[in-house]
Amino acid sequence: MKEGKSSKSNQQEQHEQIYHQNSHLGSFKFAKLFDSEASWDKDQLGDVLHWIRQVVGLLCGLVWGAIPLVGGIWLLLFLAISSGIVYGYYALILKIDEEDFGGHAALLQDGLFASLSLFLLAWILVYSLSSF
Amino acid sequence: MATTIPLFASFKYADSLTVVGISICTALVCEAISWILIYRTSSYKSLKYSIDKAAKKLETMKTENPSSKLSIKKSKTKKIDRVETSLKESSRDLSLFKFKSGAVVALVLFVVFGLLNSLFEGKVVAKLPFHPITIVKKMSHRGLKGDDPTDCSMAFLYLLCSISIRTNLQKFLGFSPPRGAAGAGGLFPMPDPKTN
Repeated sequence: MKEGKSSKSNQQEQHEQIYHQNSHLGSFKFAKLFDSEASWDKDQLGDVLHWIRQVVGLLCGLVWGAIPLVGGIWLLLFLAISSGIVYGYYALILKIDEEDFGGHAALLQDGLFASLSLFLLAWILVYSLSSF
Repeated sequence: MATTIPLFASFKYADSLTVVGISICTALVCEAISWILIYRTSSYKSLKYSIDKAAKKLETMKTENPSSKLSIKKSKTKKIDRVETSLKESSRDLSLFKFKSGAVVALVLFVVFGLLNSLFEGKVVAKLPFHPITIVKKMSHRGLKGDDPTDCSMAFLYLLCSISIRTNLQKFLGFSPPRGAAGAGGLFPMPDPKTN
């Protein structure tokens, strides 16, 4: 009887784990992206901000490389634009209280390093292939 | 040595596409190895679950009992400390678990880097659209002849590919480390509110 009970609780824990792992994907709806009334999970918001940064990084890299824009100042401009877009999104569109999510620094750093690398990669590749 | 396919032969820096292509394949292989050795194991899943659960519990407890409240009970503080210790232990176990299996991935990366190095040693694979600072130039101009600071070596391009492609692939596949384990890390470490 005791073995039956413990195997049942193990099964329940496994179900909980699977539900927890899938809960992020299952509960996320794209309409939430522009809904200022929606409540956000820390992980979900972090993921959204990460992917926004990656898209901005890729687009800026492609555009900067195609024009082409040359000089370190354009790197700084990308950082400013990328951070501005992320800040504008969570502060003005989502209207969230940043204190609930670790402050501005925590929100602004999500995906920053990866997007910077992606931006540099796109910028260098497009510039090298299109300008020479 | 012929390293580009005829379709891209007209591009002066077509070798950069080869580097990116190999990086993408390497990233996929590394994640497949990581999935086999780490992510599909029950140990990893249960550790990740514990960390997520503990992190959420800790967050709830800290929100309900902010450290600024003087009337906070000792029992609550002890409880918070217990959960924090449990979280740190689980995070340490997770890091150790991933480290052991990550040695295989590191070996693959080492071999691929060696292969790329032998293919592109001394070759300019791309052109930088900016003048790099000294620290970056040591990597971007590694093994290249001449003084043009905008010449880009394979090593720097491969580094950019590794960081951007692998990070995003891990994120996309859901293999990123749980935020609770990362804790207050990252580029801007957050101060512990309890000490303020």
